[in-house]
Amino acid sequence: MISPNVLPLEQEVAKLIVEALKLKVDPSTIQPEAALFNEGLGLDSIDALELSLAISQTYGYQLKSSDPDIKANFSSVRALAKAIEKHRTK
Amino acid sequence: MLDAPLINLYHSDDILAWDSKGPRTVREFVSDVSRLADALPDCPALLNLLSNRYEFLVGFGAAMLKHQVTLLPQSRAPETLCLVAKDYEDSYCLTNPGESIEGLDCVMLPLQTGTAERRGKIPRIPLNQVVAIAFTSGSTGKPMPNHKTWGALVSVAHATASRFGVKAGNPNGVVATVPHQHMFGLEASVILPIQHGLVMHAGRPLFPEDVRTALEEMPGKSIVVTTPLHLRACVSADVKLPSLEIILSATSPLTRDLARQAEQRFLAPVQEIFGFAEAGSVASRRTIETDDWRPLDGIVLAGQGAEWTIQADYLPGPARFPDRISVQDDGTFRVLGRAEDQVNIAGHRVSLGDLNQTLLELDGVNDGAFFLPDVEDRSVTRLMAFVVAPGKTTKEIHIGLQKRIDPVFLPRPLFLVPRLPRNETGKLPREALCKLAEDCLEGGSG
Repeated sequence: MISPNVLPLEQEVAKLIVEALKLKVDPSTIQPEAALFNEGLGLDSIDALELSLAISQTYGYQLKSSDPDIKANFSSVRALAKAIEKHRTK
Repeated sequence: MLDAPLINLYHSDDILAWDSKGPRTVREFVSDVSRLADALPDCPALLNLLSNRYEFLVGFGAAMLKHQVTLLPQSRAPETLCLVAKDYEDSYCLTNPGESIEGLDCVMLPLQTGTAERRGKIPRIPLNQVVAIAFTSGSTGKPMPNHKTWGALVSVAHATASRFGVKAGNPNGVVATVPHQHMFGLEASVILPIQHGLVMHAGRPLFPEDVRTALEEMPGKSIVVTTPLHLRACVSADVKLPSLEIILSATSPLTRDLARQAEQRFLAPVQEIFGFAEAGSVASRRTIETDDWRPLDGIVLAGQGAEWTIQADYLPGPARFPDRISVQDDGTFRVLGRAEDQVNIAGHRVSLGDLNQTLLELDGVNDGAFFLPDVEDRSVTRLMAFVVAPGKTTKEIHIGLQKRIDPVFLPRPLFLVPRLPRNETGKLPREALCKLAEDCLEGGSG
């Protein structure tokens, strides 16, 4: 069930995460504000790297560790979708 | 007594490291090491968890001066750190500002580095001094110590430099995506540069853009010390990497196709290193040219059939190969396959038996097994696990494992099953686990 307050880009990003990392979860069950790393989906730095590739290929947004918002951007699907919206080139 | 300098082939105003705050000269380093050595507690061993490569080196050097051994656990999982620390009475943790590890005696890096207030000579360290202990997963679940003398680290650095034509200050520097607390990272990204007058980049770039920025910060040409995973990311991201001299890759096998793409894109040879914690780096190959590994100078292979050991003057005794190999007449060797029970996930080697033991120790788990599926179309194949734990949820088991094992080994997915397909002798045939994996994945519940 996709809850009505999930934005289309957030659905797209959840799908991208599941596909890029081959997670065995239904993208619509990922809460947009749930943590991606550690407790939440339990992602690690290998996933961060894989995910950054998928993001650069799909949206043309190159992630950088020197970006002061990098931790916040990776905190949830909602935050990641916002960052993509802001930086996307395609 | 024979000894070797802590850092070599520099003048005192040369840049030793490139920190986020700028260059660190040899003069500053000598002062930083001396000041930290005075501030460290008098204990025989420490865990150096500093994430900045320059600060780690200051901690490592200061510990050597005080005859303290730096412990290098096989993972950063808090339980592993505690398990390692428990065996070394009076050990402490040198941590980043604000970081603390529950159950461990933590000392934060107390100093502002880079002040050059103290003058002094470059310290010399006895070659037979044990300066580090690298841990591997043992067959009983207890981390196994591998003692590293200063002589061993220096010898491997010299053999590596001689293999790739690295001379005093040429090429200029080293940028590394690998952690310096890992054996390959320690050897190639710390000891190699500081024994050959090179500039060591203090950061640990992760994303392709980070690698590019780090290379741009460095004066002159650099060696990039990395893994197939990071290399693949850089190739796929179509990033331009400036001023590259050599790419050194290790921790997991590199495909020839990726090596070729990297060489074409970054205009530098991709050299692959073969090594393991017990012996350190032992051989290399240029992946686009050959499958055969050429042992580094000073390494002698001994054995027969598929069972071989490594011998070297600087090793306390013969070290057994973790893989089955065949040795050719010209002295090179080829890897036939990994020894039973060992898996390697993104450069972290572990015994499946140990992981299973950890799983079985969790509250409410009656039976369970980790499983490495056959190659997927992903760069890093992850482990799966099947668990018999009536009344428990996958989440509860996941949380239990998270505290005890390195995140790279966390199973994804983890399946709760009513029973494992054990045969009459209680063993789990691989075919039966493959079948179970297929059934579970088709069922779609993870």
